[in-house]
Amino acid sequence: MDWNAFLAFTRGPLFYASLLIFIAGMVYRLVQVAMLGWDKDQSVARGSKAGGVVKSFLKGILILPFIPWIKGAFQKRPIMYIAGGLFHLGLFTVIFLGTPHMLVWKSLLGFGWPTLALPFVDWLAVAAIIGMLVLIVYRRTDAVLRLLSGPAEYLNWLFVFLPMISGYIMTHHLFFRYEVAYSLHMLSVDWMLIWIPFSRISHFMFYFFSRTIRGVEWGKRAVTP
Amino acid sequence: MAEKSVYEHLKSEGVSRREFLKACGVLVGAMGMNKLPPVADSNLPPHLARGAKVIYQVAEALENKPRVPVIWLEFQDCAGCSEALTRSQSPTLVDLVLKQISIEYHETLTAAAGHQTEANKQAIMEQYRGQYLLVVEGSIPLGADGAYCTVGGRSAEDILREAADGAAAIIATGNCAAFGGLPMANPNPTDAKGVMDILTDKTVVNIPGCPAIPEATTGTIAHFLVFGTLPELDDLNRPKTFYGVTVHDRCLRRPFYEAGKFAKSFDDEGAKKGWCLYKLGCKGPTTYNACASIKWDGGTSFPIQSGHPCLGCSEPGFWDGGGFYQGQSAPLQRPAIGAVGAATAVGVVVGAGMAAANKAQKKG
Repeated sequence: MDWNAFLAFTRGPLFYASLLIFIAGMVYRLVQVAMLGWDKDQSVARGSKAGGVVKSFLKGILILPFIPWIKGAFQKRPIMYIAGGLFHLGLFTVIFLGTPHMLVWKSLLGFGWPTLALPFVDWLAVAAIIGMLVLIVYRRTDAVLRLLSGPAEYLNWLFVFLPMISGYIMTHHLFFRYEVAYSLHMLSVDWMLIWIPFSRISHFMFYFFSRTIRGVEWGKRAVTP
Repeated sequence: MAEKSVYEHLKSEGVSRREFLKACGVLVGAMGMNKLPPVADSNLPPHLARGAKVIYQVAEALENKPRVPVIWLEFQDCAGCSEALTRSQSPTLVDLVLKQISIEYHETLTAAAGHQTEANKQAIMEQYRGQYLLVVEGSIPLGADGAYCTVGGRSAEDILREAADGAAAIIATGNCAAFGGLPMANPNPTDAKGVMDILTDKTVVNIPGCPAIPEATTGTIAHFLVFGTLPELDDLNRPKTFYGVTVHDRCLRRPFYEAGKFAKSFDDEGAKKGWCLYKLGCKGPTTYNACASIKWDGGTSFPIQSGHPCLGCSEPGFWDGGGFYQGQSAPLQRPAIGAVGAATAVGVVVGAGMAAANKAQKKG
């Protein structure tokens, strides 16, 4: 098999198609949710809505993750919180601050930005992969989580894990020839792009909408902590 | 002419025994041979056989073997591969293969011209039918019934098929002959093809590159001359000796790749310090070639050492493999605004439709 030709396919037409499906899918989800509409709230606002939004994001992204012990979610399930946190931190570092991924963004957006040194990104990638392994073991061993998990949960895990592990193998030239590892990485990424809009991984976008709406309501009622 | 062995011919040309053995040594190196044939064949006890050298095997072969005529065809090429050969800095090897041994027909190098040369080629092909080695440089256009490339009024495809018919072995040198190269680049106006896409029923050894590394071409020719067989090939019919590992694997800038130190432009501090050229579009990681080990001009340098990223010229379709200076991780195509717009529109329409349907269902 000519893996270089396959690589050209997964980097070229397949990626292109996956990206368009991803965009169409995310817009579809967004429009569908937006058209659910809002109930008209007749009460007079007691605080600033914009202020509420700002505080909501500060709390959700910048403050609470760094003082997690005050959160109930952390107190009840510290392993899940830490593993999940490391996974997200590693994921974002790799996707946005890893050199090869920045070049992807650059080619798509037309501009690039400085990136971190490979060893640093690498350690966070390892942390993310270990985080994912811990999470799946936890999901299988915790009685409640196991009951809550259906095929969708495991597939979500798998379709995110495959690009992560294939990317790591590729970066370190392990086991396979480079173009083989690269093809597998691209194949898993292409499939993930198609999968995301129709799965709960779409929370990468909806998280920001729910944070915003929640912030608006907090601000309006002046109950922001 | 053909009755003399290679060694006898060289001797008559004034090559001494010492020079001959030296050339054999170069050949051994060029073919990447470091293994002895099975010990059982040598009729020696194992502890003695271990000390024997491949060089004597090569010398013996050249002492006894008749010269093999080489017919070198050029089609849609730039003669760059021939140029690389003649300007190569390993004169022993190239002299041996090009001048001393047996090039019988080569448009660029032949002193004679016109019908005289063509007649000579026909005569050689008849006299050595089934014995001569065919080397092809350049792609073969099939468009317009082959009118894009003709020699002596005949199409390239016609000439190739005729020559291939009586050839003992076929070597395609350069990316054009191997995989179509530049002439085949999008939109491929002449419908160019590589040799192996035309001679589908024959084994074609590919020595891709732009140009092919002279030592890889001569090394492969030498392998055939010495042993009468073709070297071991990979899945794209490239000799594993020269195309076994990637440029990246043997790159002198590899440690910088591992350390995450990249040149960001051709003139920044990183470039001056010799850091990795991955961000500048280097295709080394997916390119199988011997540039980083054999190098060019007698081992002086190779593109990456001189500060230019690898273009991937020994791989099929390298002209259309994304921009030369675009990082290898970047997707091959950037989605057009229209396509993104269309995808968004589809999303809006389907999303709104679904929402409306849900609402209707709720009311009903």
